[in-house]
Amino acid sequence: MESRVLKPVLAVYVGLFILFLYGPFIVLTILSFQQGPEGGPQFPIIEWSTYWYRHIFGLTPPSRVAPLPFGESLIRSLTLAFMTMVTSTVLGVMSAQAFRSKFKGSGFVFYLIVLGMMVPGVLTGLGTALVANTMGIERHWWSTAFVTHVVYTFPFAFLVMLAILNRFDASVEEASWSLGVPPMRTFRKVTFPLIFPGVLSAMLFAFTLSYDEFSRTLFASGRDQTLPLAIYGTFAVEIHPNVFAFGVLTTLFSFSLLTVYAVLMTMSVRRAGRAAIQEDIA
Amino acid sequence: MTYDLQLSHVGKVYDNGTPAVIDFNLDVEKGEFIAFLGPSGCGKSTTLRMVAGFESISSGDILIKGQRINDLLPEQRPTSMIFQNYALFPHMTVRGNVNFGLDVKGVPAAERDRKVDGMLEKLGLLDVADQRPERLSGGQKQRIALARSLVVEPDILLLDEPLGALDANLRKSIQNELKLLQRNLGITFVFVTHAQSEALALSDRIVVMNQGRIEQISAPYDLYTKPSTLFTAQFIGRNTIFKGTVKHAEGGVVTLNTDHGALSGHAAKPLSVGSNASIVIPAESIGILPANGEEPQNADGTSGFPGEVGSLQISGHIVEVTINLPTGENIVVAGHEDKFGRRFKPGDRVLMVFRSDGATVIGG
Repeated sequence: MESRVLKPVLAVYVGLFILFLYGPFIVLTILSFQQGPEGGPQFPIIEWSTYWYRHIFGLTPPSRVAPLPFGESLIRSLTLAFMTMVTSTVLGVMSAQAFRSKFKGSGFVFYLIVLGMMVPGVLTGLGTALVANTMGIERHWWSTAFVTHVVYTFPFAFLVMLAILNRFDASVEEASWSLGVPPMRTFRKVTFPLIFPGVLSAMLFAFTLSYDEFSRTLFASGRDQTLPLAIYGTFAVEIHPNVFAFGVLTTLFSFSLLTVYAVLMTMSVRRAGRAAIQEDIA
Repeated sequence: MTYDLQLSHVGKVYDNGTPAVIDFNLDVEKGEFIAFLGPSGCGKSTTLRMVAGFESISSGDILIKGQRINDLLPEQRPTSMIFQNYALFPHMTVRGNVNFGLDVKGVPAAERDRKVDGMLEKLGLLDVADQRPERLSGGQKQRIALARSLVVEPDILLLDEPLGALDANLRKSIQNELKLLQRNLGITFVFVTHAQSEALALSDRIVVMNQGRIEQISAPYDLYTKPSTLFTAQFIGRNTIFKGTVKHAEGGVVTLNTDHGALSGHAAKPLSVGSNASIVIPAESIGILPANGEEPQNADGTSGFPGEVGSLQISGHIVEVTINLPTGENIVVAGHEDKFGRRFKPGDRVLMVFRSDGATVIGG
């Protein structure tokens, strides 16, 4: 009876949710198939074409629309995201591991770490730029911006790992020690394989957050731009559908990342998985 | 002589100041099967974990084969632990689990394989050696945990409620396997449990613990028949306990004045006349006679007290009779069917009798 009313309401709600989530992307995708080079970023579609996709890869005859200056910034962003991912995940795993035993001041340190994702990005970026200037340090995407990215993404990796280790059954580690296996080897052979699904999630968080980080990078990165900055830069002049085509491609790239993540996840869950079942018995 | 395991004045105080284990003293000979028995929170697991090295020792010493091991890390101690949830490595096969401890020790591959195969065979795990433990039964998991621990040849095997996760039927058969295995290997086993039936069935000696202290260390039969503290008397078996004052004491036999008349039992420790004491009578030591108006005799070491049959419960050959006492309490008397027969029905006035050497008098 109740569900007769509730169900349609929920259905509408979910429909709206999906519309707002994917609406922009759908509009973007449609417009990216606009005719070129005369067609602009608006409806109606004059004629369907893949012109702007070819334009991105320099496969079209030269026209009044300049090619997107994304090549280098894309490489930069990917490199930066990778560096950030590795650093934040390593730090996240190590610090979450430290939090398994209560130490003096652990509460304070916890908030100190989490602060990194709470402080507004503009402030962190600006602050980093000011500190760098005062100390005479040159700003680069791989130095100052990298640091702000780590400060920003490390708390996410930390929280993910904290949640994973929180429900980790420590008796398998004790079992390993009691078989004569030292802690370092125990971590490598027992703990790490079992928390690997969590490590994957932490890596995904760190990578994607860094990859499209804008506000911190804006101030902290110096002369060479990362991809989000470069895209923003093109908006300032004139928008052509090639930006949309590029957006579609990067989104597809993100989806492929997610697919890789999902595949690795199912593999490791199948492999390491049933620790939870062992816990249930206890 | 050197003992396999010695705990000398071992104490554990948690960081917040709560004492968990107080002045624990125990000498264990090689090949003994020792059980730590007590209610949860009594300190038995903490003591075991101190032996394993998972908990620090606040005071006292732990020695294995005469060597002080207080400061050794868990992986340096010649102990191995079995956990209640088995703590198997879910990402390894059964063989991988068993092989894991030998892998680090630098044992040559050929010898390692031989040992692992031998252990898998001994515990009947060869068929499932290449499977992962997750899909195997509780009993099989238990045996994997045993194989994994025994293959590294520890001096002492520590078992923390190892049967707790098994269902009742399986528990019985694993219990027997465990006992046989321990006999064959001759390794010292230290076993923690809160189930007295396990402790009584398996161990050579039982350490009864309560609130961090040892209450009694005895062989199972002695523990059952000669409890030395009131806690043990209440915790082990099904005893009738009456409080009273000492009327007279001579030659180890003490007579108490109780609400149920003068009752005699043997005393573990000397008691002075007039002091408070309790008499502990095991349910199995009590016989029932029809009351024929005669006062209970205290002659030839037999005591008796009156009551009324409340209800009878027959389970197989054992009859459990609930007796209502004049004081309003009720007690349970158990015995073979042929002992009680079908002589009594609810409402019968009866006399409970027991021999003084079947009852124990404890101060307090």
